[in-house]
Amino acid sequence: MSATTPIPSRRFAGARVPLSDRIGEPAFRALCALAAAVAVGTLVWIAETVFDHSGTAFSTFGLGFLGHTTWDPVKNHFGAAAFLYGTFVSSLLALLIATPAAILIAIYLTELAPRIVRRPVAMLVELLAAIPSVILGLWGIIVLGPFLTGHLEPFLRSFLSWIPLFSGASSSGYSMLNAVLILTIMILPIITALTREIFATTAGDLKEGAYALGATRWEMIRMTVLPIARPGIVGAAVLGLGRAFGEAIAVTQVIGNATQIQASLFQPAGTLAAQIASSYQSANPGLGQSSLIYLAAILLVLSLIVNIGARLIVRRFQRGR
Amino acid sequence: MSALAQPAPGSRLHADRRYRRRRLLSRAVEGISTLAAALAVAVLALVIVSVALRAAPAINLDFFTKDPAPFGAPGGGIRDMIVGSAILVGIASAIAIPLGILVAIYTTEFAGHRVATTIRFALDILNGVPTIVVGIFIYGLLVIGRTQSGWAGALALSVVELPIVARSAQEVLGLVPRALHEAGLALGLRRWRIVLRIVLPTAAGGLLTGAVLGVARVAGETAPLLFTTSIFSTFGTPTNPGEALPNIPVEIFSLSESPSPQDHARAWAAALVLVGFVLIVSIVARTFNERSRRRLGS
Amino acid sequence: MTVPRRRIWTIATAGLCAVLVAACGSSAKHSSSSTHSGSSTTGSSGSSLASAKQLVGAGSTLVAPLMSQWEPTYDQKYGVAVTYGAIGSGGGIESITGRSVTFGASDAPLTPQQAAACKGCLEIPWALAATDVAYHVQGVPNNLKLTGPVLAKIWMGQITSWNDPAIARLNPGVKLPATKIVPVHRTDGSGDTFAFTNYLSHVDPAFKSKIGVATTVNWPGGVGGKGNSGVGGVLQSTNGAIAYIAIAYVLENKFDYALVQNAAGRYPTPGIASISAAARAATTVPKGGTQGISLVDPPASAAGAYPISTFTYVIVPKRSSSPAVAGALRKFIGWAITAGQADGPKLDFAPLPAAVVSADKATLAELR
Repeated sequence: MSATTPIPSRRFAGARVPLSDRIGEPAFRALCALAAAVAVGTLVWIAETVFDHSGTAFSTFGLGFLGHTTWDPVKNHFGAAAFLYGTFVSSLLALLIATPAAILIAIYLTELAPRIVRRPVAMLVELLAAIPSVILGLWGIIVLGPFLTGHLEPFLRSFLSWIPLFSGASSSGYSMLNAVLILTIMILPIITALTREIFATTAGDLKEGAYALGATRWEMIRMTVLPIARPGIVGAAVLGLGRAFGEAIAVTQVIGNATQIQASLFQPAGTLAAQIASSYQSANPGLGQSSLIYLAAILLVLSLIVNIGARLIVRRFQRGR
Repeated sequence: MSALAQPAPGSRLHADRRYRRRRLLSRAVEGISTLAAALAVAVLALVIVSVALRAAPAINLDFFTKDPAPFGAPGGGIRDMIVGSAILVGIASAIAIPLGILVAIYTTEFAGHRVATTIRFALDILNGVPTIVVGIFIYGLLVIGRTQSGWAGALALSVVELPIVARSAQEVLGLVPRALHEAGLALGLRRWRIVLRIVLPTAAGGLLTGAVLGVARVAGETAPLLFTTSIFSTFGTPTNPGEALPNIPVEIFSLSESPSPQDHARAWAAALVLVGFVLIVSIVARTFNERSRRRLGS
Repeated sequence: MTVPRRRIWTIATAGLCAVLVAACGSSAKHSSSSTHSGSSTTGSSGSSLASAKQLVGAGSTLVAPLMSQWEPTYDQKYGVAVTYGAIGSGGGIESITGRSVTFGASDAPLTPQQAAACKGCLEIPWALAATDVAYHVQGVPNNLKLTGPVLAKIWMGQITSWNDPAIARLNPGVKLPATKIVPVHRTDGSGDTFAFTNYLSHVDPAFKSKIGVATTVNWPGGVGGKGNSGVGGVLQSTNGAIAYIAIAYVLENKFDYALVQNAAGRYPTPGIASISAAARAATTVPKGGTQGISLVDPPASAAGAYPISTFTYVIVPKRSSSPAVAGALRKFIGWAITAGQADGPKLDFAPLPAAVVSADKATLAELR
């Protein structure tokens, strides 16, 4: 029954619509509609406010802002290029690690785990997402940082230093690598949860057909589950990417907030969100503050693109099934 | 689903080299998958255990009942931050929970299909807006030209909380059987009465847990507060939302950058309080969520 | 049936959305125009929190340790609550310019542009301290000797390892490891950055032209930390790091610190004695509260002076939002420059010279 079946206002002979209903129904509908308008309007309002306050910087630098690599408050030259680089590199690397891991964990949860273990382990993986990012950042500074400089970075450098990404001394725990690992922990639960849902809805008879043909478990997954799930996994990964783009707190705590592009992962770096967070207490009023908000505008546009893209991919995937 | 059919041991297929290789590959993948899951759980355990162990020396009764000590002096606690966080989350939830439930009612009960889809889409997008941008939004709206305040911080938190509550409420309301609506209509009730008298009470459990999950999520958010209520004095326990209120996430954030071991210990202790609250509330809410959904669906 | 009810509701909702957005749009434009002018024309909306019983301030992290001693003492004695946010000197100047606080605190004096934007602000030196050069390197002993030009080259990225000949020459007999130097700087607007860059610009013209003097500069490389506290955090966790950091924090965290050569060729230990020597060498006394006093790189005649000493100022508008607030500010600042100085020495704040105190008192009388 649709939501729009009109209710006859002339009901039983002689009965009339009570006054309370005549006021109450429209009033309640208006209230709910108002709430919906506020919710949708907020999104528009966010975009408008952010673009408005970045106006000064935009009129000074234009779109060239995206290409400048300097961030010089003294000479009032600002540019987002270093932060765009850092945002993309850190998020893409985190995605590169998290997506295969998520697929593997989803395989475990849907195919391998005994039934009793399934729900608790799934909940535990989801709880990783519930850890507030400031606490992950704290852990990244105090626990992960020393581990990286003391153990992981020398290990990586010992046989991967021919790749520029892994060259260079690691003197401080504040580095792009630290941020990549923290971001991986943060986006893993989202991608895992979505992938698990997709895997769980694979048609049982397809799987049984594969087994009937003599496939091993891995071959069955590879033949029946993965191909169908691929667009959905892509959508989940893109959503994870959006989350990684927008993460400000944990990243600013561990990444060192450099304003230059450096090749090595062991060096400090900067991302859009982290730069905004690191300057929260003061920015030179006028151009400096406006440039900071310009960064926020870029971040907003990026996250809109990624989020809308992800939703469209997921929706097409769901419709296709 | 049928069990994996294995060739009988001793058969020619079982001994075949190619089959053995395929089986080895499959077992290897199974092993790696189990390892991956174990690793994920291990990381969670590692983080929580780190927090608990490092927080232990600083947790005592003083921690919850005193304000921070002046620079360099030992002792003190985070009472003003607990109070401040409670006020901020309270105001944010008072705005976001009713609003979110009303939006959900609108999309499930009153809106046409296209409007409902648009609203759901907008809510999903709003959910994906980085929280630091939400902070900048409220900063540009309420803080520039004026001063930081608890109202600004709470408002920023409510923008983050709204889509979470609304989405979860939509799902719960969608689970309410149509039969209840039809029964109400058959009795001659108008739609608003059906919603208020029949649908909401039925869905109340699910709505409550959705709201609680929203609260838990927002209690740990730092970025919306950075630009709106981060400049506060640690002396005294302000409760007036007209001024910037001390809060736990921003305090952990500033302490995490400090070099002194006492500051670190306080950061871990505050982190334990926060993560303990968030995790326990999340676990309880999720368990109730499962139960109430099963009941609704039946 | 005429227009279906559903369509009416859809149109009404869409219209409502449009109206809301338009209304928000116009109001946002009104509020953003005041942003571009940099200061709030409506003035004291932030200081509406201020009253005779509560003063709100923000700014320098250098003075924050002293502030945290002053707040409880002053509250106990006079019942006035002082709220202070340590957001860096740059933030303090910005906040008081926008009148979102009652007083700002900065180690860097106002530039002419900032003074103009602040519309009649007084800067009153109310404490005296120094910016140390601290370091954290395994294998390097405490109190390494360094000079201004060497420090400038380190922060410009021209000296990159601890066993560089330039450093070894200054410290004969000290075995220096080959660790890479990681210079640490402030990411926020900082009076310590101002004092440090001021000093380096005095002793190295190349630094002055390449980097300049300000509360935030474009450092070539290195790691950033927020606030003196953040810089200390980076210092402590990075082997090979060297940082400029306010003296109270070096004391509190027991960092190793360098002895910086002054113009007389000596290497005084940063502390109350050497800071006071630098203050004595200052020839100007701020009259009328519109000038800062520079203490960096004192002349060779001040033999025991520490070359990176700095005053720290409280910045207040000449006209407060109300006479009660003006009175409360006068009383608080007057207390800070006299009785409050007693809290200083344990945090390595030197007492204000008498000439500065009397000049301050005269300036305070202008506050109303």
